[in-house]
Amino acid sequence: MEYEFEGKTTEEALENASRELALQPEELNFDILEPGSAGIFGLVGGKKAKIKVTLEKPEETNNENGIQLAREALEKILELIPVETTVNAEQTDGKIALSIEGDKSGLLIGRRGKTLDALQYIVNKIVNKALDKKTYVVVDSENYRKRREESLTQLALKMGDKAKKIKKPVSTNLMNPHDRRIVHLTLQEDIDLDTKSRGDGLLKKVVIIPKK
Amino acid sequence: MKDLIECIAKALVDEPEAVRVNEIEGAQTSVIELAVAKDDIGKIIGKQGRTARAIRTILSAASTKIKKRSVLEILE
Repeated sequence: MEYEFEGKTTEEALENASRELALQPEELNFDILEPGSAGIFGLVGGKKAKIKVTLEKPEETNNENGIQLAREALEKILELIPVETTVNAEQTDGKIALSIEGDKSGLLIGRRGKTLDALQYIVNKIVNKALDKKTYVVVDSENYRKRREESLTQLALKMGDKAKKIKKPVSTNLMNPHDRRIVHLTLQEDIDLDTKSRGDGLLKKVVIIPKK
Repeated sequence: MKDLIECIAKALVDEPEAVRVNEIEGAQTSVIELAVAKDDIGKIIGKQGRTARAIRTILSAASTKIKKRSVLEILE
């Protein structure tokens, strides 16, 4: 991302740049476009100095765009469904988290989060089409993702116990990658158990195997 | 329903002006026909039909809301 700044001298242009971009002058990577001249007695014919600042990591601005974009895309779809909801957007460790408020019926969640996943997938597609940088958007409603994670953790622990008790592999239902990941991570700590994904395509089963 | 599909489709394709949506309303079931530019069909269908499936899921949620059924046909 490139910006241009002006000042009476290059130093002043640089100061302006550092103030505008909220960065230290030493951190800036800049080229002098026009060195500027004071003119006669610094009054007549003075030329402004112009610099071009190149920011290597335009993450801040880009993600601001991403949040805006993701939120607008989701709001538009929800409006056309139509449902009366509001969307809250925030950024958490590299992800854009959108949360839908106001759907008490669970219509937007769907069976096992099917509708929520579909919305998330489409919003991801829309956002990543518009942005160069890979952006990950999470769509949630009524704290569903958190609740789902808790119930999957419980399920994983229960199945792990069962596998140890009967000393035979136990397998879960078909799950999407996100859900499988939770099962794997939950049982990762358990040194008596091994977990493997089995199946083809997007939905696979997790097999929990007791070690001998 | 038609606007919903049109909005999603336009956001996914490279040539939004080529998106055509037609709704054939029945008593209980509506058929929504979606046509896009030839090069954009893949974007609407997605890898192993994932995008098409996601659009259909959203469509069926929207139809449930008005107590109807809708079918999405992607025209080639």
